[in-house]
Amino acid sequence: MGVVQPLPGSFRDPSGNVYRVEGRILRTVNECFAPDFDFVTSTGLFKNLAAEGLLLPFEVVSSEILKLSDPKPRYVLETPRLPFISFPYEWSFSALKAAALLHVRIHLQALEAGVTLSDASAYNMQFQGNQPVFIDHLSFRRYHSGEMWVGHRQFCEQFLNPLLLRALFGISHNAWYRGTQEGITTGEIRRLLKWRHYWKWNVVTHVVLQDLFQKTSTQGTKSFQDTSLATASFPLSSFKHMLKKLSTWLSQLTPLNTGESTWGDYDKTCSYSSMETTSKKQFILEFTQKVQPALVWDFGCNTGEYSETALEGGARYVVGFDFDQGALERSYHRAGERRLPFQALFMDAANPSPNQGWNGQERESLQARASADAVFALALVHHLAIARNIPLVQVVNWLIALAPQGVIEFVPKNDPMAQELLRLRQDIFPDYTVEHFIALLHEKAGIVKTETVSKSGRMLVWFKRR
Amino acid sequence: MESAVGCEKECEMAKVLVHAREVISKMRHVGNFLVVSIIVVIFGFENSALAYLDPGTGSMVLQLLLGGIAGVVVILKLYWSRFVGLFRGHAREESEHSSSEDQK
Repeated sequence: MGVVQPLPGSFRDPSGNVYRVEGRILRTVNECFAPDFDFVTSTGLFKNLAAEGLLLPFEVVSSEILKLSDPKPRYVLETPRLPFISFPYEWSFSALKAAALLHVRIHLQALEAGVTLSDASAYNMQFQGNQPVFIDHLSFRRYHSGEMWVGHRQFCEQFLNPLLLRALFGISHNAWYRGTQEGITTGEIRRLLKWRHYWKWNVVTHVVLQDLFQKTSTQGTKSFQDTSLATASFPLSSFKHMLKKLSTWLSQLTPLNTGESTWGDYDKTCSYSSMETTSKKQFILEFTQKVQPALVWDFGCNTGEYSETALEGGARYVVGFDFDQGALERSYHRAGERRLPFQALFMDAANPSPNQGWNGQERESLQARASADAVFALALVHHLAIARNIPLVQVVNWLIALAPQGVIEFVPKNDPMAQELLRLRQDIFPDYTVEHFIALLHEKAGIVKTETVSKSGRMLVWFKRR
Repeated sequence: MESAVGCEKECEMAKVLVHAREVISKMRHVGNFLVVSIIVVIFGFENSALAYLDPGTGSMVLQLLLGGIAGVVVILKLYWSRFVGLFRGHAREESEHSSSEDQK
């Protein structure tokens, strides 16, 4: 085995790195961090948090497995592999909020044990279904009396400000967050504030004052540059009080303008007959019972109804994608209410998450991150081929490349929903026919089963890549 | 008579001035105490280790303020009665106190 390279996203913290070796996830603890790691272990915090399901459990394994010499790690930890890695710019409002609340909860629990968190990166959170879990064991270190919350600024940028963007202004965080990758700065949120926001004490402190102090200290007009700030202290009682108040505030944040969702009530308002829904569910059930996929990607998952059917059929984990915030919220709550291994993420199928960050590698694209065992594209193709002008051949090839098997729904032009897309525009899609669609599929895949599920001629196709 | 009245007035004035000086000096003590306490609360703890993450000066100063306010609240609670007594009861208490001081 050659020299293994750490995962491209794990270069920031000198305490250790993350490696993926033959499907195993390994995290090194370097010499420089070993005293802190030993201390945190001795407090029992790791065990307690893992027992509550708040922190990913780990086992210390032989450091020889990585054959690293410079630096030679003191410990190598192995953690269970998560079914899917997602990033905060793909999370719904509720998911980001749950992650923020968990971060604060863990920090409070850590402080009780004489431990603090060295950062507040939202990328240290992952999801199992709709449950967030903390994954970075090297963020925990010994708390020194009087020290500040060093991760506060990062917490605001990566958790609080993106939530405020939606809660105060009704703008979802996803596009902005994906653009910056590090969240939304406090200065940017402050510039958006209206006078009516100034009566809220939490807004005044965490946004207005923080930004004001930041600006006055960097303008060179004040003497904040001296070392007294670096050695200044923050009483533990104030530290805990700040976290508790923040947690209360976060738990009260709700999205503004929740009535604007197009698809959130789709399954309630659209004209699907119960017969059609039953037929589709039966088809999905049969597919998943036969294929038993470990990971399903459900593009255009809407409220997660068919994702749930896939789980009933035997799929082990389903990741749904949608760009409608209302649909994502309902999916999130569906997963929570029924404790489903189902996670709904913000994603525009015409613009999926790319490789990005430092060196274009820090955060992997959707396809680089994982490969699905099955893909669903139910009532999606017409949105890409007609509404977004993507040639049908490209849509078909993209779907076949995503997974070895899957179910695609073809919505013909005469269907009311397809007609709606064409209502105000010229029909420039002469090739958009079911015959052409089947012919394109045949070029790269076999067709296991087809079924017409509506009077308008909507057709489900089970394909298997050759 | 006039001189007697003038003397009385002068005596009254002197008493008031003495009271005022007493109050100011007490207030100074309390003020100094508050300032020192806040400084102790803010800077008097063990130095923290510098982290790999830049906490941002805005966040740090905010925390000083939040920590400071909490510190002030605790101090005010502890010394509230003395603080209030300074303003409320000083005319009666202070006059007794100062007259005994004058006799010394």
